[in-house]
Amino acid sequence: MNGPGHCAVYNSPIEEMSFPRPGFSSCRLAAILIISLALFQHAFAADWSSAEQELARKITATTGPGAISLQVVNRSSLSKQDTDEISRGLRAQLEGLGARNVRPEQAAATVAVSLSENAQNYVWVAEIHQGAGEPSVVMISTSRPDAPAFVREAPTLTIRKLPLWAQSRPILDVAVMDEGATPTHIAVLDPEQIALYRMADGRWQLEQSLPITHSRPWPRDMRGKLILRQDHLFDIYLPGVYCQSPSAAPLSLVCRGSDDPWPLSSQFALGGFYAATRNFFTGVLSPGVGKQSSTAKFYSAAPVPRPSYTLWIFAGVDGTVRLLDGVTEQTVRLNWGSDLVSVKSSCGLGWQVLATRPGDNSGDSVRAFEFPDREPIAVSPAIDFAGGVTALWTEAKGGSAIAVSRNAETGTYEAFRLAIACNQ
Amino acid sequence: MAVLASAETRPQYGSTLRMATRIAPQNLDPGDKTQLDSCASRNLTRLMFETLVTLDDRGRLAPSLATSWQAVPGNQRWQFSVRRGVKFHDGSPLTPEAVAAALRMANPDWSVSATGDSIVIERDSSDPDLPARLALPRNSISKRSEGGTLIGTGPFHITNWQPGKKLSLAADEGYWGGRAFVDAIEIDLGKATRDQLIALDLGKAEIAEIAVEQSRRAATDGRRVVSSAPVELMALVFARDKVTPEDGKLREVLALSIDRKSIRDVVLQGGGEASGGMLPNWVSGYGFVFPAEQNLTRAQQLRGEVKYAPTWAIGYDTNDPAARVMAERIELNARDAGIRLQVTSNAQADVRLTRITLASVNGRIALAAAASTVGTPLPKMLGVSVDDLYQAENGILQTQRVIPLFHLPTSTALSVAVKDWDEDRDGTLHLDNVWLGGKP
Repeated sequence: MNGPGHCAVYNSPIEEMSFPRPGFSSCRLAAILIISLALFQHAFAADWSSAEQELARKITATTGPGAISLQVVNRSSLSKQDTDEISRGLRAQLEGLGARNVRPEQAAATVAVSLSENAQNYVWVAEIHQGAGEPSVVMISTSRPDAPAFVREAPTLTIRKLPLWAQSRPILDVAVMDEGATPTHIAVLDPEQIALYRMADGRWQLEQSLPITHSRPWPRDMRGKLILRQDHLFDIYLPGVYCQSPSAAPLSLVCRGSDDPWPLSSQFALGGFYAATRNFFTGVLSPGVGKQSSTAKFYSAAPVPRPSYTLWIFAGVDGTVRLLDGVTEQTVRLNWGSDLVSVKSSCGLGWQVLATRPGDNSGDSVRAFEFPDREPIAVSPAIDFAGGVTALWTEAKGGSAIAVSRNAETGTYEAFRLAIACNQ
Repeated sequence: MAVLASAETRPQYGSTLRMATRIAPQNLDPGDKTQLDSCASRNLTRLMFETLVTLDDRGRLAPSLATSWQAVPGNQRWQFSVRRGVKFHDGSPLTPEAVAAALRMANPDWSVSATGDSIVIERDSSDPDLPARLALPRNSISKRSEGGTLIGTGPFHITNWQPGKKLSLAADEGYWGGRAFVDAIEIDLGKATRDQLIALDLGKAEIAEIAVEQSRRAATDGRRVVSSAPVELMALVFARDKVTPEDGKLREVLALSIDRKSIRDVVLQGGGEASGGMLPNWVSGYGFVFPAEQNLTRAQQLRGEVKYAPTWAIGYDTNDPAARVMAERIELNARDAGIRLQVTSNAQADVRLTRITLASVNGRIALAAAASTVGTPLPKMLGVSVDDLYQAENGILQTQRVIPLFHLPTSTALSVAVKDWDEDRDGTLHLDNVWLGGKP
């Protein structure tokens, strides 16, 4: 959700990619993930030596050199591995300062070290007992890193989920701008800018960012759609705002207030008017589905083509799903979430609807369905996300979708490409 | 930030959120120092008023009405860029001049001036915590409308205000952070927690406060209960400084005699954390070093070293259901150690059972506020390290003006209709992010 805190522009960090590149076979991807995780863990292995040194110095300033008995207790979110490493490091630092570790009955001082933490930092506290007097207390603090974005391995069944991008600011949409086996150019849309990244030397590098100008506050649960074009680079649809890149260089972005309908599909010419101060479509359609020019307010829509007509499926604001075929409107309750898209594939009936699930849990999932008639049939297991899905849009060619979820643990927005994989 | 639900289903706009609170403020001025500070009062304030910056769960600064800030070396002079496009609830623009005026009113000893799109604050001495200080609700930006009403820039504006009884709010359509999901909030003031729970069960409210001693029972009864981190200190606060070494020794006897574990188990029904420190451990990181265990042997030994012990009157807040029982338990504990206490609801007590709300996630600001409540000066801190904070807290405890007992969370029961509950670790609610879904 896009609360005020998410509109922050203060010290916004340049995001780092932590995802492997998509487009590999599942085995290769798994291998890369394992290697990446190993490298990732290595890269983020904390260096405790300076903190160990500082605490050892403070302890020996009280005890002086000699025999001490050291006990280390973890009262924080540190792992056992880190705790053991810190314990070993601290003993080594103390010995380097002349305080050798012995059994309690042989020690001139006993030192109880607690590895604690507060809201911001790790706090390491040493309670030093010498004789019968009150214990001395010394402590140091060392910064506690933010939890790294949790990388979830893509399942290898029917829906393939490939990580594309992650950042702390809300992601409204992502477009893959090239057609190679693996993306080398992507555009990331957030409420304040569109950023273009290029893969170079195995890392995404920012090529250009273009600010989005708007005069009115954005609504909560902000949504936006990025559409690649052939005669110019892209169009951007935002609540009450339309932006377009020019057809000639240099690349720029021109935004204006607009209530033009948003395209609901790249494959079928149907637009929906979006409520500029809310998070849903008003229900008014342009030009309409057959004779039907409106439906109830909805969050998302997906077309399922039939030989003689196209069935449009709308996820209504009221929790129902509406099926429009140009003549009739059918309202059903399918226990789906608010977001659905359809993707074209070479599997099954050729078109699958990807739908989120309803509910109040900290995770979310997307599942594929087919509509042989008017009743949906689940055709894939659900794939899980580490938080609620905040955006789900079909990509330009219709064969895949972009899903964005907000990681419930880290708060990071993570964008994935979803595609149907046959026989897996 | 604890978000109970996420967006499997997109948030729905509309509906009225109905809730109640124990507090019964007579005015809504965030700068009114006569009003009792509590999580509930702060959460009321934040619905209507905003500060230049906010603190997140980890005490990190986040922009709010200020978009950026910087200090000149020495942290004595700070400049804050004021967010553009923000409007007060009467439609007038938020200007640096309005911000400066509001801050001058709240902090008469600060030099605050408007310059261009910014304001500049100058202090007499270095103040590295000034941005965090600006996140305190008392530094909310407000002004008087032409009709004399206090107005802010927050996500809700007032539609009906009956001092001490009722507050009605409506979502501000032009709020810079995006219009709140719910249309309105109706808040009944001065309602006992028991009445709040009944209203929740009858479907007449969506949110109810729960006393810490009720929270476990409420959860086992199947209610949806959420709790903050410990944000309130329950402590014995002496009315006067110790006057003789014997007086200090008797205070230590009292501190050693209290069986916090039993009181927690019985009176608080397992809620909260026993504590010998003033700051909760999640804020300080060292709270466990202050002993909180009963040591009756040592207490009796110390008592034996003092010939005469006066009878102390121990006071409690009659509006606090747990306080009387807790005071009586303490009286029994003290008697075992040879100290006589007389439980009284009289305001003129020698020692008083007091609740002190954590003022800030910033430990230095929180400790200074707690020291002020206790009535002791904050020992001068030499720096901003955790060691400096510990030394200052230890200094306050050495005065023996206060005996910390427990750190308590705030607990809330929610209707199933409440979605995307958004509560910070320190109990700060973000009701503008909450929406109401269909009831099953």
